[in-house]
Amino acid sequence: MVNRLAADRLVVALPKGRLLEEARTCLEQAGYGLRAGDNDRQLLLPSAAPHLSYVLAKPGDVPVYVENGACDLGIAGLDVLREHQPDLLEPLLLPFGYCRLAVAGPAARGDHPLRLEPNPRVATKFPRLTEAFFRSRGVSAEIIELSGSVELAPLVDLSDLIVDLVQSGQTLHDNGLRELRVVLHSQAVLVANRAAWRLKTAVIETFVADLRRAVEEMSNA
Amino acid sequence: MSHLADARWPLPQGVVDLLYEDAADKRGLEAALRGCFRVWSYDELIAPTFEYADTLASEAGTQLAEEMYRFTDRDGRTLALRPELTIPAARVAATRLYDQAMPLRLCYIGPVFRYEAPQAGRQREFTQAGVELIGAAGPAADAEVLALTAEALRTAGLTRFQLALGQMAFFHALLVELNLTPVALHTLQSALDRKNAADIAAALAAIPASPALHRTLLALPALSGGPVILHTARTLCLNPAMTAALDHLAALHELLHGYGVADHITFDLGETRAMQYYTGITFKGYTPGVGFAICSGGRYDDLLAHFGRPQPAVGCALWVDRIALARQRQGWQPSPLRADLLWLGELSPACLAALIELRRRGLRVELHLGDAAVDVQSARAPRLAHCVDADTVRLRTAEGTRTLSITALMHEAATW
Repeated sequence: MVNRLAADRLVVALPKGRLLEEARTCLEQAGYGLRAGDNDRQLLLPSAAPHLSYVLAKPGDVPVYVENGACDLGIAGLDVLREHQPDLLEPLLLPFGYCRLAVAGPAARGDHPLRLEPNPRVATKFPRLTEAFFRSRGVSAEIIELSGSVELAPLVDLSDLIVDLVQSGQTLHDNGLRELRVVLHSQAVLVANRAAWRLKTAVIETFVADLRRAVEEMSNA
Repeated sequence: MSHLADARWPLPQGVVDLLYEDAADKRGLEAALRGCFRVWSYDELIAPTFEYADTLASEAGTQLAEEMYRFTDRDGRTLALRPELTIPAARVAATRLYDQAMPLRLCYIGPVFRYEAPQAGRQREFTQAGVELIGAAGPAADAEVLALTAEALRTAGLTRFQLALGQMAFFHALLVELNLTPVALHTLQSALDRKNAADIAAALAAIPASPALHRTLLALPALSGGPVILHTARTLCLNPAMTAALDHLAALHELLHGYGVADHITFDLGETRAMQYYTGITFKGYTPGVGFAICSGGRYDDLLAHFGRPQPAVGCALWVDRIALARQRQGWQPSPLRADLLWLGELSPACLAALIELRRRGLRVELHLGDAAVDVQSARAPRLAHCVDADTVRLRTAEGTRTLSITALMHEAATW
């Protein structure tokens, strides 16, 4: 492992899962491609640039690594950032990972305003954003925090509504649910630790500029 | 009340017991900082641990006010543990020292309390060491506090650190051009603080403003770096107050160069989120090994007026626990705690007199109590002195055992 305290070394946290492939392509284009590890379970990976290495983390953990300074930079979803509100810099939005955090309910439910719900039970993986969404409408929702398969909750009458990430809407449709309101439009974001931003300014500025150029090239192609 | 005595969780979250080397290391750091403040002619204020909550919350900003530990006294008035020490210092200066010759130079070192999630090097009780320079405006006062902050960090043993320097006067002068609601201002400041260009653009879309104003606001996140950014910023000024705020920074840079600390300063005009009471420069310090700020400070010219006696003022608070953590992560080793000598054998008046004399000379001498045998390898000291009789000592070290007189031992001890 490189001496991560050195001013010219960078450690970047990448999210495993749905954002990883596009992040890989983007970093490749910028000249910081991931070098494959010995096996696909390796969590610390070198890059094409000798001064930069990667850490693979669960998407929700990326901001934790970066905020605490264990990694200098990271790629995270806006949904995770707004839910957990880590104290980070967000110098560059990345053109992938598009999805929306939406309120959904049974397809049979009429489209009457959510603010007229008395106190709906809402299942979600995003309790903070969900509570803020309903409270800003004066609705005191009962938040039921789940860690996966949120669409199941209304089917077994665990909840009246759900707040979950939606890409195509197919999963909702397959489970007899309908999207009602958008809570947040999400996409991938480059995040930076505040201390690293001040202490490793030169390498970080170069990295951000390279990534910005790659993003522009990819959108023009 | 049984939960109070639960032996599995004897401490609430957010407080720690510091022991031995760690406690000595922290006290050593505090002493070093106090020494640094002293030679810059800052005198210590020992403020109370709790005060009226209204006093402490007055100008601290909603975030800090929410994090205060509050409780009531017998008359039902709300008290709070101090969450920082700038407001107590301002209160003392404005209510008790207002007729003294200005400027006042005050410093403090002590625990503060905040009800928030514990982070690296910051528990709910943590120690701040700081300085306040009260009754002086202008670049020379700002430069003194910045240079003193850099010197304090060097005194602490840090060589690599960077102070990010913002200028609230520049931002406030820019805001004069806008007519923002508190909510719109908060949205804009939050976006600027995260350097999120898309969010800044979105915030601006909701604000009716001239193209020049939009251009300046959009440029703010990138106005970060060496003194060259001050030239770029000049082209974006919209009123004389903005230009004056930059003139102040240029003069400050000259002085910091003279103090030899210019390399530790990064200007950042996009730094707009700070304690609510700051009116001029603001700064935060960073060092490798800790992902969070290790110090923060700034100018607060309106705070003392809140206590009835306006005075310009500038100060800085250092986060002692984080600095101690940072220097350990950078390879600093706390000095081991070990006695110089273990004293065994009879406790005759002559032996005890020798024991006392050695301690008066500053040697750390531990008296062996009990009957258990000790050997040099396992002892908590590199030397064992076994008092055989009123004038004879058997001295055991790793090199071997020698018999000598107490007089000879006292003579030899001078070389330890």
